Amino acid sequence: MKWCHVRDVLDFNRHRGFFIDGAGDGVKFSMFSSAGRALLLLLLLLLDCAADRSTERNYEYTKYHPMPEISAWMQQMVEENPGLVSSEVYGTTYERRDIMFLKIGVDQDGVQKKAIWMDCGIHAREWIAPAFCQWFVKEMLLRYKTDKKVGEMLNNLDFYVTPVLNVDGYMYTWINESTRLWRKSRSSPPESCSCPGVDLNRNFYANWGMIGVSRNCCDNTYCGAKALSEPEARAVTEFVGNRSGEILCYLTIHSAGQLLLMPYGHPQIWAPNYDELMRVGQAAVRAMGSVHGMEYRVGTSPDLLYPNSGSSRDWARLIGIPFSYTFELRDKGQFGHKLPEDQIQPACEEAFEGARVIITYVHDKAFHNRTDIGAAGMAAALWTSMLASCLTTMLLV
Amino acid sequence: AHTVLYITGLQFVLKLTPHTPAASPSVPGQEDIQAAMPVEELDPSHYPATRAAKVAEHFINTRYGSPFAWFGSSGVKKAGLEVRAKLHFTLKEMTRNQDMGLCSAEVLFHRADERKPPQVQCTCSGAFQVNTSAEEEDLYQRLRNATSLLSGSDIPNSVGHIDPEMAPFWHLGGVASSFIMLRESNESTLLNMAHIDNFTQMETKDAQLMFQYDILLHDMVSQEILKWKLLLSWSPDGGVKVLEAEWDPKCRSCERAHLTVTTGIAAEQEMKGDNNNV
Repeated sequence: MKWCHVRDVLDFNRHRGFFIDGAGDGVKFSMFSSAGRALLLLLLLLLDCAADRSTERNYEYTKYHPMPEISAWMQQMVEENPGLVSSEVYGTTYERRDIMFLKIGVDQDGVQKKAIWMDCGIHAREWIAPAFCQWFVKEMLLRYKTDKKVGEMLNNLDFYVTPVLNVDGYMYTWINESTRLWRKSRSSPPESCSCPGVDLNRNFYANWGMIGVSRNCCDNTYCGAKALSEPEARAVTEFVGNRSGEILCYLTIHSAGQLLLMPYGHPQIWAPNYDELMRVGQAAVRAMGSVHGMEYRVGTSPDLLYPNSGSSRDWARLIGIPFSYTFELRDKGQFGHKLPEDQIQPACEEAFEGARVIITYVHDKAFHNRTDIGAAGMAAALWTSMLASCLTTMLLV
Repeated sequence: AHTVLYITGLQFVLKLTPHTPAASPSVPGQEDIQAAMPVEELDPSHYPATRAAKVAEHFINTRYGSPFAWFGSSGVKKAGLEVRAKLHFTLKEMTRNQDMGLCSAEVLFHRADERKPPQVQCTCSGAFQVNTSAEEEDLYQRLRNATSLLSGSDIPNSVGHIDPEMAPFWHLGGVASSFIMLRESNESTLLNMAHIDNFTQMETKDAQLMFQYDILLHDMVSQEILKWKLLLSWSPDGGVKVLEAEWDPKCRSCERAHLTVTTGIAAEQEMKGDNNNV
């Protein structure tokens, strides 16, 4: 990568146009005077040249990565960000692989901080989800110094991010074209049945086995022989369960459908803070839609999609974590789970904005006793974050 | 009793009454009773509207789809349910990302017999037919004049990539799949084409081009992947027709009685007297 060549910066700017597209709220490069443009380019050039070679900038976030590359990336994130990023193995898969998260947050002398949990790739074929977890980590680290709000949140909170929860399943989908659409774990079938794997998102101890599941081990919504039969589900249950007092928000990332799902999966069970979850969710999908004009919908799973039970989202809410959402990222059926790599960036950009709204609300409620989602405030935050995103993305070339 | 809420423009108001889950009625003639009830307004973002819109999408593709025209619903604006779902949705031609305006459709699900395919009526405000005659003629002539038969596989590949020369055959597979998906849809399905395992051009003596496709469909509701073999024909004049279709069950799914092995879909439709119209 030719970081410091003016021509590359200019080419890149020309291709990007350096305008923020989408909802018509953007700023066009042409709005600046030619002197202003020159100054801006010079500034960008200086930023480019000053950029370090850290992994968060040099890793290819707009490509899908097999598990070994993701593991190596996690390792580098820890090594290059002491005091800010650490990692922990918190479980083992059926095929005896490590389940690992990155813990992002300013280390406050080992004090146990309030936290936010995010896991990706509970369903093996939903490749955009692990891609988003990696993107999310990158964005938070890049904005730590440049975005005041992100800096504040990383001081006050820890973010536990699991890029791939269903490691066995994810690795299975990388074998060849015929395995690409695998969804479940890879555990051995029970005695009376012949197909491997359990739908991890039906295996949690949350109204387990009651609705929206199959008892046939060969089906894709097979909930398992019993709740928490799967070590992957147990790993999350143990870690998050032991910290349910500290964890303010549980986010689990999936594809596809462009939805933000709230508890609960049963059509006649409602969370006590339904109104608040809906209000925050609506702000999140508005923010997501404003990035690239893609429509996202918010609601409960029985309303928007189908009833289900045993989901991790439901379980998190049931143990008292007040904010619990499932993100279903792009698209709406044209590519389905095989989202092309040239959509990774826009999909992650809009998902980040949605996550950001939720995380900011949760943080401000806990630390500033603030529960308004002011439109002006959000727009300002959106503009700042998009500008930061544009700059940081350009630095990645 | 239902609460009917008025939807103005593009603003949505949540229904206050809980949604009645779809169930096969055990009382004969229930369809008639329900026909007399007032229209139940549906939330356009809720799944009954989404699933009905998907069926309308499949219907439009069977009528107007081609290797250069592949349609998808980009947003449900308004929906109501009596026996049938009535909806308004914006239509998009997906190969060019082109907005096609507003469509209104009625999708009738046969609750008494889930094996009967849904019936669709649909009108769209904008110019429905995209002008694809030049590209279609070009592709058709290229294939007619080629010295060898074309084939392809793994579309899209694992990272969602499609070679540009393969794109029309991806769209063609999608449009042909719509014939199957239209037939196989009911109130408990949401079908999309997930993958083309492979396709092979077959020898023909007449003006139609013929292709064998091995396709994977995805049902969002059950999350299952369904394997279908299709034999289809296409020409710019004749449009897309599915000649034969066969479901490839894995043993464990054999109990799904409603998914049948079918042959000669086009002939069957003619015999029944096609009730679908635009």
